[in-house]
Amino acid sequence: MLAEVERRVVARKVGDARGGGDASLEYVLNDVAYCEIRRLEAGNGRSGAIERWRDLSRRLLAMTEADKQEALRGLVRHYGRDVVGNFDPRVYRFATGIGPSLLGFLFSPTGSLREGVRAIANLDARIHADGEIAVARTCAERGTLIVTPTHSSNMDSPAIGLGLLRAGLPPTTYGAGKNLFTNPFISYFMRNLGAYRVDRRLKFELYKDVLKEYSTVLLEHGYHSLFFPGGTRCRSNIVEKNLKLGLLGTTVTAYKNSVRDAAPHKRLYIVPVTINYRLVLEAETLIDDYLAETGKSRYIITDDEFSRIGRILEFFRKILAHEGSVIVRFGRPLDPFGNDVTDDGESIDRAGRPVDPASFVRGADGEVTDDDQRDAEYTRALGRRLAAAYPRLTVLHATHLVARAVYDTIARTAGTRDIYRLIRVPPRQLTADIDAVLEQLARLRARLAQTPAWGAEHPLIAALTPAEILDDAVRGLSSYHTRPIVVRLDHQLQIDDVKLLYYYQNRTAHVPPEQR
Amino acid sequence: MSDRRDTVGIAGAGRFGTALGGVLARAGRHVVLWSRDAEIVEAIRTTRRNPRLPAAQLPPALEVTLDPRRLASAARFVILSVTSIQVRERARQLGAVLDGSHIVVHAVGALAQPSKQRVSQVMEHELPTLKIGAIAGPALPDDLADDQSVSIVVASAFDEVTAEGRRLLNAPPVLRVYGSRDLIGVELASALSGAYTVALGVSDGLGVAAGAEARTFAGLAGLGNLLVRASDRSADYALGRRLAERAAIDEADWPEGARALLAGVELADQLGVRVPVLRSVSGVLTGHVQPTALASMVGDSVADAE
Repeated sequence: MLAEVERRVVARKVGDARGGGDASLEYVLNDVAYCEIRRLEAGNGRSGAIERWRDLSRRLLAMTEADKQEALRGLVRHYGRDVVGNFDPRVYRFATGIGPSLLGFLFSPTGSLREGVRAIANLDARIHADGEIAVARTCAERGTLIVTPTHSSNMDSPAIGLGLLRAGLPPTTYGAGKNLFTNPFISYFMRNLGAYRVDRRLKFELYKDVLKEYSTVLLEHGYHSLFFPGGTRCRSNIVEKNLKLGLLGTTVTAYKNSVRDAAPHKRLYIVPVTINYRLVLEAETLIDDYLAETGKSRYIITDDEFSRIGRILEFFRKILAHEGSVIVRFGRPLDPFGNDVTDDGESIDRAGRPVDPASFVRGADGEVTDDDQRDAEYTRALGRRLAAAYPRLTVLHATHLVARAVYDTIARTAGTRDIYRLIRVPPRQLTADIDAVLEQLARLRARLAQTPAWGAEHPLIAALTPAEILDDAVRGLSSYHTRPIVVRLDHQLQIDDVKLLYYYQNRTAHVPPEQR
Repeated sequence: MSDRRDTVGIAGAGRFGTALGGVLARAGRHVVLWSRDAEIVEAIRTTRRNPRLPAAQLPPALEVTLDPRRLASAARFVILSVTSIQVRERARQLGAVLDGSHIVVHAVGALAQPSKQRVSQVMEHELPTLKIGAIAGPALPDDLADDQSVSIVVASAFDEVTAEGRRLLNAPPVLRVYGSRDLIGVELASALSGAYTVALGVSDGLGVAAGAEARTFAGLAGLGNLLVRASDRSADYALGRRLAERAAIDEADWPEGARALLAGVELADQLGVRVPVLRSVSGVLTGHVQPTALASMVGDSVADAE
């Protein structure tokens, strides 16, 4: 696959260079050298490495076109190896074939196989997977899946991995930050389970081209993939609306290439997924980031703490203490153009009629046409469909519902929903009458039941009374984080951390305030 | 046999679709005009004239058909030119014969009825293709039929749509075509210019610009449209003049501008935008306001706001 990536990227760059200007090889190579020198200087890099890049920059004007092409080929190979590493499809097939026991072993605190299996059994009760699983399985048999989950936590990667396992869906490849590969043990399994390395520090176009081409080739070869279309973790806990899309654009390219290769039957299916946590491990830092407006948009996960063993163990210890604490809900797959698919995986247009997905990349005479702007618009249309699907697929835990009911109650008393004003209210004055919260909660549940587009309650709480849901939520909200969010005082709830209350209620932010 | 990539399909043999088809065919372009009306199709075939626009002589390069499949197979670029109340039904019929490779632009200078959505929103739902857009501008059917020079704008999020629209609709010296990516702005400007044309007809002098991108409303689809329509050749303007004379006009006889007027007020309410001119004139249209009270109503409204 690496040779294929190299061949394609070099051919495209050489072809583009004929147009001159910013596309010339001289410019492309100089851009790489400039960015690498800046990166190395900022990181106090080795002077030898910096000098090699300077040397390339100096030699550019004297290089022949053939020399430049050779230099380009060398760079593409270098960055391609950095991305792909030691991925071996044979090891991938073996590793994914023994997925359950392997994962059980990995997630067992003591590491014995027997305990690993027991850990898996325990996780069964804690991580639920539901939704349009049967259609997704059909699509996985027929073509390649691109799993596109919401992104709330550093633990999304293992959570979606377990969710796929629970749903009987195949594991996926995914791009992960380079820092995750520092632990040799985890790095080995990540590599061979299909994770490829993304170095966020490399900003130049050539590196992005290599990355996108690798993703495209993976899809064309039928490797199921995982992208987080929201980019970075959602700081606010609001269900994602503004998607960054990023590598999602490679789905149109991969499908177009398949159609050009006379294989339009090699279908790609984009599966919207929500990962719904009862409680989010790193909620404190996320909401602080959000409120300080420091949450930065990025392309793909870079700050995943999956490489820190202690963090993983903390995550699973807390998961095991909370029944049904993660629910992974799968939506109906879409084709790369945002069309719905039938139960058999056939594309249908917005009006429900069968439509040939290959026609979207064909010209007037049926020929496959290249048009980057068109493909970017197709990807934006797909992004809009995903953004519309996420609220509907949202599963609301007791923590979210009660946080919303409490927030609505204190907002009414304070006369404002503005979090920045509420933060300034002395904590001791932030209290909510429990009866008022229960009434608010009952009305919220009734509104949710009438509007499926806003999502649904967790199945485990559907049969509970408002009082039982309140008890369950207060138990979680008062014990999970370093300090309680709410504390029960006789007939009142005292809010000790309004920022975290806001964070949890934000999961219902797409539900408009009640009109009274 | 004409090349499919160089053929223009037009869905709807109304006055505008016929006039535009005639201009393009006279410029040498192969045009396929789809109508559901057998009498119209027969009249064009035998007399080379459409009874709805008898002034326009239609050359042989304009092919007319009753079969939408013929339209879909002969042309990749299709113009939906129907009334605002027919948009959804005709788009649905068209959608049944198109695929993802087609390009469809509409020439409906109004919001779709009864949903009051932009026409492209209806097209998104009813057509299989995502490559959609709009054409708009100061091009009246009679002017096109007379081969007078006019300009239009083709707008879409897809560069391919605007590029193909500019290539295929360019018919010098009669038709000059510009491009825009502001589809929403062009649609709203075009629809509201119809509404304001009614207002102009009533007051013979009121005008305003507001919308998605302010510049779009000052362009061909907005002010350009408004300036050209403000004459007795425009059905919207003529309606306004008749309203000023206190004539009662049956809803069945309303031109597009009248429906755009009511839709514009509704849209403004949804968006919380003040539109005193449209609101007052819609009151005249529906019989709730006397035309003579218009000036004071608009003036009072502006005074309240200031």
